[in-house]
Amino acid sequence: MSEAEILAGVAEVARVHLGWEDPLTPDMRLVEDLRLDSIRLLTLAVEVENRFRVRLDELDEGGIETVGDLVATVRRKLGE
Amino acid sequence: MSETINGWLFAAGRHPEGGLRFVDRSEAATWFGWGEVRERALAVCGGLRSLGVQPGDRVALIFPTGIEFFEGFFGALLAGAVPVPLYPPVRLGRMSEYLHRTARMLERSGSRLVLADSRVRRILGETIAEARPDLGCRTIGDLPGSAMEPVAVAPADLGLIQFSSGTTVDPKPVALSHRAIAAQVDILNGFWRDTDELRHSCVSWLPLYHDMGLIGCVFPALSRDATLTLLGPELFVARPALWLRALSRHRGTISPAPNFAYSLCVTRVSDAEMEGADLSGWRTALNGAESVAPSVLRAFCDRFARWGFRPEALTPVYGLSEAALAVTFSDLDRPFRGRRFDREGLSRDRVAREAPDGREIVSVGRAVPGFRLRIVDEMGCDLPDGRVGRVWARGPSLMDGYLGDPEATARALRDGWLDTGDLGFLREGELYLTGRAKDVVILRGRNYAPDEIERSVEAVPGVRSGCAVAASWLPEDAPGEVLALFVEASRAATAVEREALPEACREAVLGATGLAVDRVVVLAPGTLPRTSSGKLRRAETLRLYLAEELTAPDPVTPLRLAGAMARSSLAYAKMRFERRGG
Repeated sequence: MSEAEILAGVAEVARVHLGWEDPLTPDMRLVEDLRLDSIRLLTLAVEVENRFRVRLDELDEGGIETVGDLVATVRRKLGE
Repeated sequence: MSETINGWLFAAGRHPEGGLRFVDRSEAATWFGWGEVRERALAVCGGLRSLGVQPGDRVALIFPTGIEFFEGFFGALLAGAVPVPLYPPVRLGRMSEYLHRTARMLERSGSRLVLADSRVRRILGETIAEARPDLGCRTIGDLPGSAMEPVAVAPADLGLIQFSSGTTVDPKPVALSHRAIAAQVDILNGFWRDTDELRHSCVSWLPLYHDMGLIGCVFPALSRDATLTLLGPELFVARPALWLRALSRHRGTISPAPNFAYSLCVTRVSDAEMEGADLSGWRTALNGAESVAPSVLRAFCDRFARWGFRPEALTPVYGLSEAALAVTFSDLDRPFRGRRFDREGLSRDRVAREAPDGREIVSVGRAVPGFRLRIVDEMGCDLPDGRVGRVWARGPSLMDGYLGDPEATARALRDGWLDTGDLGFLREGELYLTGRAKDVVILRGRNYAPDEIERSVEAVPGVRSGCAVAASWLPEDAPGEVLALFVEASRAATAVEREALPEACREAVLGATGLAVDRVVVLAPGTLPRTSSGKLRRAETLRLYLAEELTAPDPVTPLRLAGAMARSSLAYAKMRFERRGG
């Protein structure tokens, strides 16, 4: 799956589950730009896992700060 | 009934319905009878003792909801140690803050050993290096295998350390004896007595490091040799319908949750997800741990009546970890009761006068058996019914104190009474809460210290140093608590800085604490009320603001809905990208 496809999937998750109606770009930071608190971060993590059928773990997640980081992590997991 | 948790564990396992059921994301269930839980805990007890864990030692536990938590928790108790449940990392959260905060909690609780899930253990290196528990950090799997006898415990021994707050500058370890826990569990079990026709069964998604999840759900089930069905909190947040479906499928009669959970169900559960569900067996839907919003209760009743939900099941309650858990319960078989009170009366005159267009407050009920309540003024003198004051509680399940903090203990416990720090009044024997006397921000059932939020905007350009106040409250007809930040702009602030202040403050608070501020109110220098010694008066700031008596604020942006929040921040993000690009 290409990065663009994964980004589109993440944007869909953000729209359906977080009410984010606008375009999503890789530079956006989850906390500062998307304004996700702990409940919404959790929602994003679980729904991204469901959508792509991957399992993220704490080691992967500790370094995720932006939408782009999340997309890259999902891509790596899909390749494993 | 036994007066120790250990006593319950030894007595349980005789009834075929006694045990733990874990529901996973595909809704498959795994069952462990209490007898099997005990066998597993005995193995862990042997491992802990041969490792050198002594009676009275604190053992921290960091696990997601699952059987390993219980192996570690009961294993520690059987070894005579005191379990200290801590929360696992927030998904996609800021790891460095989590590691640091966890280290602080290990230090405050004096934990000698950390037991963690293998996934969590991999990331705890920094925490362990900082707090240096002398027996290190282990998984259940790396404990030495050795059969050593359990250690006898007495009712006066400590049975649990639970932290009263979430993200705070100064997390306080609440020390509870076996006797206090047993007294609380006895009170709770009195509300759901088993009969020949009906054995009560609880369903919970609440975290096990939270008093409502552990003391409210686990111990009542264990002590009655009954069923407890558990889902992980992350399953609930990801798909709230799983909670309701588990209640239906596993015939749960009792389930507690904070206000926000009922709100989440109203907005996020679809009809399709509820197909075939039957909520008519849900006798007691406890609602506590944060302010109870009447609008949410009504919306929940309306939404789920189609699936048999009974309005009288909704039971607002009040409690706090310093009292082990419950202090008041409303009547179990009566629909919740809200009354309207004159706003001015409540905030200024501190008198509850009924008024048809006033603020609606939900009764949290009467003191539970064995508990007494007082409403006192600032001097500790009793106030008559209908007068607003500090809520004090006394009963058999109060904490021994904050572990290793006699000063904080002396502030909270006075002559056997617990100063809850909440404000409220009594009317016909029922308690109505109006706000908080102590400076705590409560969001989604967790407590936050306001100074941590306030400190995070210190470095924002244009903020007057030391002039920020964070406060939360539950607006009428709102689904949940709102977090506001009041900041004074410095005299030297430029027009551009002033303009950017609300967004810059939001970003700073989010970055430092992970909390989304709903409103930023920018004030002229000197607007915030202070005490004679110069300390900021948070409760007074909020009161003035709500009474519209705080100097006219700059345009307020009530960003409460995710959509609105998202749109506004996108505009901000775009602005920044353009700036970056240019």
